[in-house]
Amino acid sequence: MGQMARKKSVEDSEDMSIDLKPFINFLVVLIPVLMLSSEFAKISIINLKLPEGRGSNTEEAQKVRPLDDESDKLLLTMIITDSVVTIGAKNGFLPSLFYKEFHHYVAAEDRRVEVTVEYDPKNPGKSVKNPKTGKPFKLSERQEIFLYVADENYQVQKCLYTKDALMLTDADGRPMTSVKTGDTIWLVTNPRRQVVITDPSQYELKPLMAYDEMKNRLMKIKERYREARDADDIIIAAENQVAYDKIVQLMDVARTADFPNISIAKLRG
Amino acid sequence: MAVSRGRNKFSTPKSAGLIITSLIDFFSIVVVYLMKSYSSEGSILTNADNLVLPNSFSTMKPKEIHVQIAATTDMVLVDNNPVVPTEDVRKIPQENPNPVVPQLEQALQKTKKQEEDMVKLGAMNEMEGTATIQIDKNVEFDVLYKIMHTCAMAGYLKMNFAVMEREL
Repeated sequence: MGQMARKKSVEDSEDMSIDLKPFINFLVVLIPVLMLSSEFAKISIINLKLPEGRGSNTEEAQKVRPLDDESDKLLLTMIITDSVVTIGAKNGFLPSLFYKEFHHYVAAEDRRVEVTVEYDPKNPGKSVKNPKTGKPFKLSERQEIFLYVADENYQVQKCLYTKDALMLTDADGRPMTSVKTGDTIWLVTNPRRQVVITDPSQYELKPLMAYDEMKNRLMKIKERYREARDADDIIIAAENQVAYDKIVQLMDVARTADFPNISIAKLRG
Repeated sequence: MAVSRGRNKFSTPKSAGLIITSLIDFFSIVVVYLMKSYSSEGSILTNADNLVLPNSFSTMKPKEIHVQIAATTDMVLVDNNPVVPTEDVRKIPQENPNPVVPQLEQALQKTKKQEEDMVKLGAMNEMEGTATIQIDKNVEFDVLYKIMHTCAMAGYLKMNFAVMEREL
């Protein structure tokens, strides 16, 4: 018995590899199955919560439901025009956020051709030329719209960002442009995260995105007015020519800042 | 001399097998990646080729789709049937306090009627009145507003926007 066992172990040591063929067969079958049932472009939905009576100007809706008492409501509104984003509430407006708009184009036939240009809202029809073919880009080739915050001299404002694109602010929520080792800063995530700087070179000075600053401001409002009856509601009001993409991005901002009930209004005049 | 000895050593291997470890590594990575994007439900919403949906962080999945309105830069569709050119929607004056798109309203009333018939027949439990709106991200707010207003006038008071999920 002992002899046999020894003999077997000697044989094993000559060919130690496990028989992987069945496992490979299994993987070869499994991969097509998974490939068939995987989704690479996922479509999801955003729920709109339109206020009843208010907001929708259908006569029927307004007759059925009289406007309720709004004295203890916040009526938070985010307003977007072609150069300004503002937060307003029943009692007034916060300082407007002026932005500069940059459009990022990627050519459909050759994805390596990328161009980022500043957009002039006063000259909306101006087309951007593809540097390779010389033809103007199509609207569907516009991949992303970046809104950078501009200061009073109409220069793009900068702010420090982490590697995963989180904005750095001080304790009062103001964007930071310089840090040194030992400083305490706050990252704009929900909820805010406090970080002590150990290596300032980890942070990059980048143009301040209007969406990030908007999220920062909305979170401040949320912290302050948690008690309001409509503390979860926000209205997004837009001008006619504002692209739908910006509205969806602002809806994202509102949702990440804990305002899940979003309704949409039109800015008149 | 040393070279020839080395060649001898390699030309007579004890077992002629494939080096399979790296292949297994590769397969394992592919399997993990595919499992990440696996979905058992499939997608009930599909978008047209010329419709670029905006990216969003929303992960809410559509459960049921009753009526689907799509607006590309040149056409408005209801349940994949072309209804009215987007240019005509733009032409409706912006000052109009009641900006209804007539062709779209008719199409929506028809789908609403169908839905009501389904409820009568017992094929559906109750009238949902939810419209799923897919709009190209380059379409301007004016068109969106008119479409939403028309939806509300046609009795679809709940609306959802379809968006493309952003990869984190």
